[in-house]
Amino acid sequence: MIEGAGLVGVEFGPNVDTYAGASGEGNARKFGTFGYPFRARKPA
Amino acid sequence: MVDQQAVDVGVLRREVQHHYAEVATTPEADFHFHTGRSAAKQVGYDDGLLEGLPEGAVESFAGVANPFHFGVPDAGEKVVDIGSGAGMDSMIAARAVGDAGEVVGIDMTPEMLDRARDAAAERGITNVEFRHGLAESLPVPDGWADLVISNGVLNLVPDKVSAYREIVRVLRPGGRIQIADICVDKPVPEGAKRDIDLWTG
Repeated sequence: MIEGAGLVGVEFGPNVDTYAGASGEGNARKFGTFGYPFRARKPA
Repeated sequence: MVDQQAVDVGVLRREVQHHYAEVATTPEADFHFHTGRSAAKQVGYDDGLLEGLPEGAVESFAGVANPFHFGVPDAGEKVVDIGSGAGMDSMIAARAVGDAGEVVGIDMTPEMLDRARDAAAERGITNVEFRHGLAESLPVPDGWADLVISNGVLNLVPDKVSAYREIVRVLRPGGRIQIADICVDKPVPEGAKRDIDLWTG
């Protein structure tokens, strides 16, 4: 989807366990949900 | 492209607004996610990023990772923050771009916009402006931004394709995105896709 919109150079950073210890942790575990930073750029 | 069968867009937007209005007005309440300073530290913000920010902006933080993992914007840059919430990321960006730069935070929840504007005014932060709007129709001119940031928002947007097209529209050629969001490692059943509670939590 990101590249389909015209962005290039997509790069993901390390995941974080966003919901650990929160009441949403159960659903997060069920679907393997983690937070990620990512970057990309619009071609010059 | 919206999966119309999966979810009613109007209902989803109202539920998300209702949910995040509560985060704005009662950030200490029990949500399915962490909020505030502890949440920010849990998802990778170091003390240096958080130091000196208005407490009102930090208390209602509800991001999912750290879009500044790849660095803060450069001095003089123009930044758009999609789903700026209480404004914490916008104010980190505002400090980085300095007086020669500009930050526009965009959110659809009036209570969040009020909180962000109050927090910026409290600290006299004048290079950030908070505007009402949707990710699918950003109130920003074509090619305006050097950098687009967002944190935990695009997963809540029903029409993600339109949202990414808008991001590309507002970026200048060579402009960048630094986004934090959630991803799932396992297939989500159709029933779950229609569950508004799972979209918002």
